[in-house]
Amino acid sequence: MVDPVTILVTGGMIGSVYVLIAIGFSLIYGVRGVINLSHGAFIMLGAFTYLVVSQYVPGLAAFAVAILAVGAFSLLLYLGLVRYIESNVVITFLATVVVALIVQELLVLRFSLAPRSLQPIISGGIPVAGTRIRYYQLIAFALSWVALGLLYLFVRRTRLGRNILATSMTEKGAKLTGTNVFYVNAATWFVGGAFAGFAGVFIGTLQSTSPLMWVEALGLAFIIVTIGGVGSIKGSIIAAYLIGYLETLTVNLIGAEWRGMFALLLLVAIIIVKPEGLFGREFIE
Amino acid sequence: MSNPATADAEESPAGFAVPLFDATANRYQLAVLVVAILGLVTIPVWAPSLTYVFAFANIWVIFVVSWDIISGHTNYISFGHSFISGIAAYTTALLTFNIDPEMAMYITLPLSVIMAVVAALVFALPALRLSGPYFSLLTFVSVLVATKAVYIFSQYTNGEMGISTVSVLTFDNTTMFYYTLIPAAVVTGLLLYISRSDVGMVLKAIGQNEVAVEAAGLDTTRFKIWGFVYSAIPMGFGGALLAHFFGNVEPIAFLIVDRSIEMIAIAAVGGMGTILGPAGAAYILIYLRDDLFRTFLGPNARWVAVWSVILILLVYSPQGILKRFWTFLGDLGGDSA
Repeated sequence: MVDPVTILVTGGMIGSVYVLIAIGFSLIYGVRGVINLSHGAFIMLGAFTYLVVSQYVPGLAAFAVAILAVGAFSLLLYLGLVRYIESNVVITFLATVVVALIVQELLVLRFSLAPRSLQPIISGGIPVAGTRIRYYQLIAFALSWVALGLLYLFVRRTRLGRNILATSMTEKGAKLTGTNVFYVNAATWFVGGAFAGFAGVFIGTLQSTSPLMWVEALGLAFIIVTIGGVGSIKGSIIAAYLIGYLETLTVNLIGAEWRGMFALLLLVAIIIVKPEGLFGREFIE
Repeated sequence: MSNPATADAEESPAGFAVPLFDATANRYQLAVLVVAILGLVTIPVWAPSLTYVFAFANIWVIFVVSWDIISGHTNYISFGHSFISGIAAYTTALLTFNIDPEMAMYITLPLSVIMAVVAALVFALPALRLSGPYFSLLTFVSVLVATKAVYIFSQYTNGEMGISTVSVLTFDNTTMFYYTLIPAAVVTGLLLYISRSDVGMVLKAIGQNEVAVEAAGLDTTRFKIWGFVYSAIPMGFGGALLAHFFGNVEPIAFLIVDRSIEMIAIAAVGGMGTILGPAGAAYILIYLRDDLFRTFLGPNARWVAVWSVILILLVYSPQGILKRFWTFLGDLGGDSA
């Protein structure tokens, strides 16, 4: 018998982590139309950075290190590679996915293919209506909303954030009004990467950490952004919780090996019926 | 080196005799092509230790040229070609594993190709109506769905370990080399012919400017679907051949998205849309991956090396390193291409 409280709580936790997975991807896609296929690798790097650093320092510090490290990696990838090729969509597609594969193989060399489990930021938990909720699940839920709030303030209230928003609407217009598009791109990649690192720590704790996890993470980012609608933060949030609950129901009612299958099929349906997503802008090629 | 005959061929309107090889090839280009083909055909003589790797590379040639005829020409980048070849391989494997281990190849092979084409169309028909990233996305999803399905239905597919009831074509490396070389040559020749024909020209035009092709009154969706069929048939054949090459069908070598990405990467390194470029790049990269890097770096580090080489080549030469080399040879002859 499936416990509705478990479904409600677990689905909510997973949904809040999936929001984080999708936001970084959505930011980079939304601002410049660059589909960053190394996003899954960013998430994976977040989990592995946390795995290594948390052996030496407390969980919360390791969490901060993971966020900053992945943000820096993302920024470096933009400055060192993507900047030069982003005008060629096909090459950007390919180069970013090749970067993901290089990261994968380097991690295989260092950590082997075996999945690892992360030490939660805070251990322990409390029972709620017969279900044990772990503290790190609550933290994931809370921090996810805090991060979203900070992102909202950043985009609405700071000059750089407003420049990012303007560039995502029309690059030409933003340039004409004196926006430095280079800074906007660099900032977008840093923030997008930082969100991926954030998501990586929690997805690595909730599920598993292995050098192959990037494919599923990238798939999720794709699914959520497409279902929610490209460029719509609100759509991404709703889609993330939708997928979170869908997966929790699947795992509890059918079996763990089916996890992800229905999300993929839902995506196929959405692409065919409503390619602009639930809350997307009019789809422009 | 311009001679009147080639100039005529270049300017003749579409629909006349289509030369199999580039009509404008000068003597340097021809010399390189002839040496490369002779060298390839005689590998069992001058490099017997490489026949196994190159037999494997032959099958990869089938994959990358098949990828090239649709994605390299139309710029609809498919991340799902390992899905097509994987379906064919798994059809062969499932038939021998679950029904009759002795089932003859003349039954399993056509069935595998048919299944591959059907599976490709199931995803391609809706996907080809969409443009840009959505096509790539949907093809990417097809691989993920199929890979998951292999694990979900592992009582039939034997999951991670795979099915090893498929008969191996031959255990003699030299024979295997020619068994795979001949299909690779036939597929490359046929697809080169299609690429140089009117259909190929329309597919390339779709890659350049689809709206303009539509404005010219051509039904681009129909051309794309035919392009996909031209691609899926040899993909299915190659997948079944690969099953008979290894004798064991499992997700890692046959299905996972890494394999699709490898096809795209090889085609891009060779020069998308040129058929011969991707074919040449398949030999070079498979040799590097499975022989040179494997010997010097070991079974795991070679992957880092091969992906790094691919990344550098992509950034250094986005139009493809072999295409660039071909143009360089063309300029040597004084024929400005």
